[in-house]
Amino acid sequence: MPSADSPATVSTGNRSLVRRDFDVVVVGGGPAGIAAALQTARRGLRTAILEEHGQLGGQYFKRRGEGMLRRHGDYRPEGTRLIEDAYRAGVESLTDCLVWGVGDDGRTLLAVSTKENRHSEVVARAIIIATGAYEAMLPFPGWQHPRVVTAGYALHLATCDVVAVGRRAVIAGTGPFLLQVACALLDVGTRVQAVVEANTPYRLGRPGVSAVRYPARLAEFARYRGRLALHGVPVLQGWTISSVSESAGAGLRVKLAPRTGYRPSLARHQSIETDAVAIGYGFRPSSELARLLGCEMRSDPQTGDPIPLVDSHGRSSARCVYVVGEAAGVAGVRAALIRGSLAGGAAAADLGAADAPPHGMRRAQRQSRKLNRFADLTATLYPFPWDLIDAIPCDTLVCRCEAVSAGDIRAVLGLGWNDRNSTKLATRAGMGTCQGRECALTVGYLSAGDGTPSEVPPYTSRMPIKPVPIAALLASASTRETGK
Amino acid sequence: MGRAAARGLGNRSADEVTVYVDERPVVGVVGRSLAATLHVAELHQLGRNLVSGEPRGPFCGMGVCFECEVTINGRPGVRACQVEVCDGMRVVTTREAPSRA
Repeated sequence: MPSADSPATVSTGNRSLVRRDFDVVVVGGGPAGIAAALQTARRGLRTAILEEHGQLGGQYFKRRGEGMLRRHGDYRPEGTRLIEDAYRAGVESLTDCLVWGVGDDGRTLLAVSTKENRHSEVVARAIIIATGAYEAMLPFPGWQHPRVVTAGYALHLATCDVVAVGRRAVIAGTGPFLLQVACALLDVGTRVQAVVEANTPYRLGRPGVSAVRYPARLAEFARYRGRLALHGVPVLQGWTISSVSESAGAGLRVKLAPRTGYRPSLARHQSIETDAVAIGYGFRPSSELARLLGCEMRSDPQTGDPIPLVDSHGRSSARCVYVVGEAAGVAGVRAALIRGSLAGGAAAADLGAADAPPHGMRRAQRQSRKLNRFADLTATLYPFPWDLIDAIPCDTLVCRCEAVSAGDIRAVLGLGWNDRNSTKLATRAGMGTCQGRECALTVGYLSAGDGTPSEVPPYTSRMPIKPVPIAALLASASTRETGK
Repeated sequence: MGRAAARGLGNRSADEVTVYVDERPVVGVVGRSLAATLHVAELHQLGRNLVSGEPRGPFCGMGVCFECEVTINGRPGVRACQVEVCDGMRVVTTREAPSRA
């Protein structure tokens, strides 16, 4: 039997299968995952983080590359410090390592290298899922144009790569994230022509006033709005993009429309000539691995997205499986760090490696509850704008990967295909490389017909939960056959 | 970095590398992602949708949408947003490839 200290490496030529085992495996090296790993490693548990990207940090603490660090300094140095703390505590990181499935025993994590055809099987006594979240999308005519990108990509370009998404840009969608992205774009010299917010969160009203209970968040928000006001960036509320098309020059023509039923400050439609469009409609937990591991789910009341059911310490319904960070419900980086720490402590206690609850646990739990309440408030201020989907013309692309239009989906609804999975079978929407991540909300809404979108069952979580090269799978299969 | 540098002309500083995109030299800065480097060089279309043939480029920037897939040094299916440029990197896009459409 291979010892725990050295990996069991089985090779046939240049193909190999690696088996590793640890006390604790954290899937996802973002703030929550690193915070959890730090707690277990400090208590002497052999801890590894499996991270798909080439470096730890996730989205919020995505690190600048070496050359960018030299030229521009560090970005969000708190992330660098957290990562250094983890390494100092003895956390092992397996980067460029993509977890795509779970073995027949229901616990072994199946992973593949993103750089070469090497397959890994990782076993652990405790699994901490910190797979984060991705952006929710909502289609409009022209959203597949190469100059239309997600708000998150525009932010990474501005912050990690110090690149402007365009000389001019329009930002649209819904969520406080749009303001943050707008300011980051201003930092790299982009002329932000408008922030087009589908909801009306910045008007005084009962929900908005509740925000005074969270002074730190309110201060952050005030900084963004102040900056935008200083640069003369209009923030349109209750507006949306009705179409994007190429203009006569090399740019884009963006048509804006007031959202039906809202009283906009300007009565007519608007048209803006721009270079780039960045869109974002909030975030959705990456729950695929949690579902594969058999965790019980609850349904997000707004989007219908499955969210793992966890206790205050991140324990899921599956034995020795914990879910932390955005993967357990979108609540921001502060909540992710706290929940990660709480789960790390809990995992250590559950594995018998901790005698007493760590110092500061009660305070952390209180903070966690407060941050959860703030997340609920955010959801109230920026509800997902489902009605915009009704306005999508039939020839608009819904499934980007398989080029399935809104009309295609509406047509099969008429034939009785009325849930996401059967709509997928009938039209191929959701069968492409993104595995339905970009189109699931829209397909769910359209296929519900008269029902509420949150009642439509999600796409079934199947392996591989991210695309993997067949060559990597063949490598592991042939290794097994030779029995070496 | 000016447009001339982006097209592979001009002097290279210590921080700069040259990558070859469909055999065209493009100057990039060490530490930037390949997607960002191509963006600076105004190469926004990296491929064509396999079904419709429409031009596509990086969308999500975090490895989820797979619309930035290119072949790097002979290895296909690499997401340009997930790799950093290095000197001599050979990138092949599918912008000119025929589609099933």
